[in-house]
Amino acid sequence: MSALTQTRVAAPVTFWKAFVRRPEFITLSLIVIFCVVVGIISPSFLSIKTVTDTLRASLTTGIFALGVLLVLAAGGIDVSFTAIAIFSLYATTRLTLAVYPDAPYLLMVVVGLGMGLLMGLLNGYLVYRFKVPSLIVTIGTQYLFSGFLKAFIGSRHIMDIPKGLDLAGTTALIQATTSGGARVSVSIQVLVLILAIVVTWFILNRTLMGRAVYAVGGSIPIAERLGFNVSTVILFVFGYAGLLAGLGGMLHGALNRQANPSDLVGSELNVIAAVVLGGARITGGTGTVLGTMLGVILIELLTNNLILMGVPSTWQKVVIGAIILLASAAFARRGKT
Amino acid sequence: MTEQILETKTDNENMFLKLENITKSFGGVQALRGVGFGIAPGEIYHLLGENGSGKSTLIKIVSGAQPPDSGTMMVRGKTYSKLSALESLEAGIETVYQDLSLFGNLSVEQNVAMTAQLVTNKGRLSRILDWKLLRDTASAALERVGLSSNLEFLETKVENLPIAVRQLVAIARGLATKASLVIMDEPTAALTQKEVENLLSIISSLQTDGVSVLFVSHKLDEVFRIGGNVIVIRDGLKVAEGNLKEYTQEKISFLMTGKSLEKHSYRTSSPQKEVLLELSKLSKPGAFSDVSLSLHKGEVLGITGLLDSGRNELALALFGIEPAATGDILLEQQKAVIKNPRDAIAAGIGYVPEDRLTEGLFLQKPIRENIMVSILDRLLKGNQIDFEKSTSSAADFVKDLEISTPNTMLPAQSLSGGNQQRVMVARWLAIKPKILILHGPTMGVDVGSKDALYKIVQDLAQKGLGVMIVSDDLPELLMNCDSILVMKKGRIAKVFQAANLEESVLSQELLSEAIT
Ligand SMILES: Nc1ncnc2c1ncn2[C@@H]1O[C@H](COP(=O)(O)OP(=O)(O)OP(=O)(O)O)[C@@H](O)[C@H]1O
Ligand SMILES: [Mg+2]
Repeated sequence: MSALTQTRVAAPVTFWKAFVRRPEFITLSLIVIFCVVVGIISPSFLSIKTVTDTLRASLTTGIFALGVLLVLAAGGIDVSFTAIAIFSLYATTRLTLAVYPDAPYLLMVVVGLGMGLLMGLLNGYLVYRFKVPSLIVTIGTQYLFSGFLKAFIGSRHIMDIPKGLDLAGTTALIQATTSGGARVSVSIQVLVLILAIVVTWFILNRTLMGRAVYAVGGSIPIAERLGFNVSTVILFVFGYAGLLAGLGGMLHGALNRQANPSDLVGSELNVIAAVVLGGARITGGTGTVLGTMLGVILIELLTNNLILMGVPSTWQKVVIGAIILLASAAFARRGKT
Repeated sequence: MTEQILETKTDNENMFLKLENITKSFGGVQALRGVGFGIAPGEIYHLLGENGSGKSTLIKIVSGAQPPDSGTMMVRGKTYSKLSALESLEAGIETVYQDLSLFGNLSVEQNVAMTAQLVTNKGRLSRILDWKLLRDTASAALERVGLSSNLEFLETKVENLPIAVRQLVAIARGLATKASLVIMDEPTAALTQKEVENLLSIISSLQTDGVSVLFVSHKLDEVFRIGGNVIVIRDGLKVAEGNLKEYTQEKISFLMTGKSLEKHSYRTSSPQKEVLLELSKLSKPGAFSDVSLSLHKGEVLGITGLLDSGRNELALALFGIEPAATGDILLEQQKAVIKNPRDAIAAGIGYVPEDRLTEGLFLQKPIRENIMVSILDRLLKGNQIDFEKSTSSAADFVKDLEISTPNTMLPAQSLSGGNQQRVMVARWLAIKPKILILHGPTMGVDVGSKDALYKIVQDLAQKGLGVMIVSDDLPELLMNCDSILVMKKGRIAKVFQAANLEESVLSQELLSEAIT
């Protein structure tokens, strides 16, 4: 350790060498190992269709995960985002059907985002103002948002969604027929995920807010005494997570072509697990966009393809749980060196 | 309390910072009772006082980390009743905190240079971060404190650094921008000779550049070498102020403590025949090699060396935190295996760590629990912990070690730095060890409590304990030990008998490169 104090002749550290030492490398390795194993057991897995299916499954999870990443990096946790998402989707859909059934998709998204943002800011305000742990606050608001939704806005499952939403879900960015004759397509919604990735990456890595998020996740009292405005940071991360939850909700509605008020809530852990599998510590202060996306891909591969390996569905949860534990152990070992 | 005639500077207008009548209390504890002083540009000030006298509290008020209860602060002629952290930084006040206040989860370069950009952008978080500037600023500051500026080090997370390197990183942050006042709260407590020398030259170059320095240290030798002005506080009141030239070390100790303390050897007994601990060719690659030594009953053995000498690693190996790879450890002639701290405790080895904040203290937990945690099994009554016994023995330690607190149920973080260190010592005395390893035992402890602590150590030696003191504080080793080992590059380079040894001889041996 003391060698650190001496100037050493720096060996040229290639990108790859540096990457191998990062937690994301573990996630990537797990993805590769999984693909190889499933590929051997069931060669049909290695196809374009798997890629497009995984991508499609990753769209909403990915958007949610980016919001969760920011909250985790700032040392908090958010379990209300699914409730925010379904609230935004359902309330926007009802509103559109009632007042402007022909509303374009973009307008609906803006309304959904606005609702998500407001709910996220409420989370942030409660966490900062009352110094209550964010887990407690967001458990509370999860009940609040989904309860409010069902009690006051509606509990009916809406199948005939507004045209704008329907169109956004069915429009393909790329469409093709594989040599095997299977039709594959990539939804236009991929662009939304890419945009969210770019914006989140930019905030985390190019702005002072990004550093402030990690600083607050490291230690709130230290961040305060170094001049960071901690309340702004907390409001921001929860607001941003709410915004992305609203966006994810609209995406979910478009892709599934329905608005069901009982959807999504209950699947928070899946998203949080993805972020943690991507190398973010649950205790805060770490996590990257790249890792998070790899974590999402890993989780989606696991949940959608274990069946191909002949794992009975009752056992799938066991396998996923074991892999999460394995990865966490690997992160913890790495953390020490 | 002795009343001192206070000297006040006349040229108030030219002061960079002027504090008046600052008070602050925490619950029932009155930490500051109306302190005021001025800081002129390009001047050095030493803020001296016993543990718990209010130094860090005063510093945190100036740096904007906490507001005062009353009083005013004038910065460059502008009056404030409290400063925010950002206002203080913007005014050019850089603070190196006693607890370092580093982000363990962030890289060295970010810790050093991130705040600089926050301040130039006036705290606006929407601004773009300039990574190149960040790296340049960090590299320059790190080189100034003698650390490496290679990429690998810049990107190392601070949580993976040893305490001394962290201290240097914290100092580098204080130097990263062009400040008007640099405050350093016990920056040398965790540093060895070499880094201290470098820091002293940094301080004089700051002064040359017209930067004021407010410096806190319990090592009076250092204070007098730096020179400048002195402000002594006691129980939250200023008791003296003036140029150091008008004071002696003895006089300052007296002002701080109200007791007259002289430097003298504390050694009261001499080692007995029986060997308690013997190391034979103990090695750990990359840390230390071929370390052989023996510790007798009643002996006090000193170990010193620079940062890379392997002395810290040796201490950690003996307590099983980072076990040695090869070689033998014999405890009372029996071969012992020490693979973890549990083995060490079972073998009767107590260890007071160097870095109390990360290696030992449970800051949120009561003082009582912090003292009693390692002997919980001995406090059992049936299968419940005997809280009465626990409270009363904790209270005994608090009294013996003069830990200043109204109540042992308060959390450890409510104690001043020096008092936290005494809690750590108390914890290991509680296990009634045969061998006690003290790693920097008086790091951040004031002269009065050093005196108390040394007496305790000698008392323990007299009762037959073997004591090992790993320390950078040379006077401490000279006053307490039978012999002193100097380690270099992982080996024992020289063994001195402490009696009649001159400090200058020891310090020269430390700084000379060659292994003799
Ligand atoms: N957050 C707090 N809560 C309660 N008491 C506190 C707190 N901070 C400081 N104190 C008390 O205020 C007094 C002054 O503490 P301070 O840390 O300023 O002392 P110090 O002079 O820096 O001592 P040291 O040399 O040991 O670092 C102490 O009695 C301490 O216990
Ligand atoms: Mg202090």
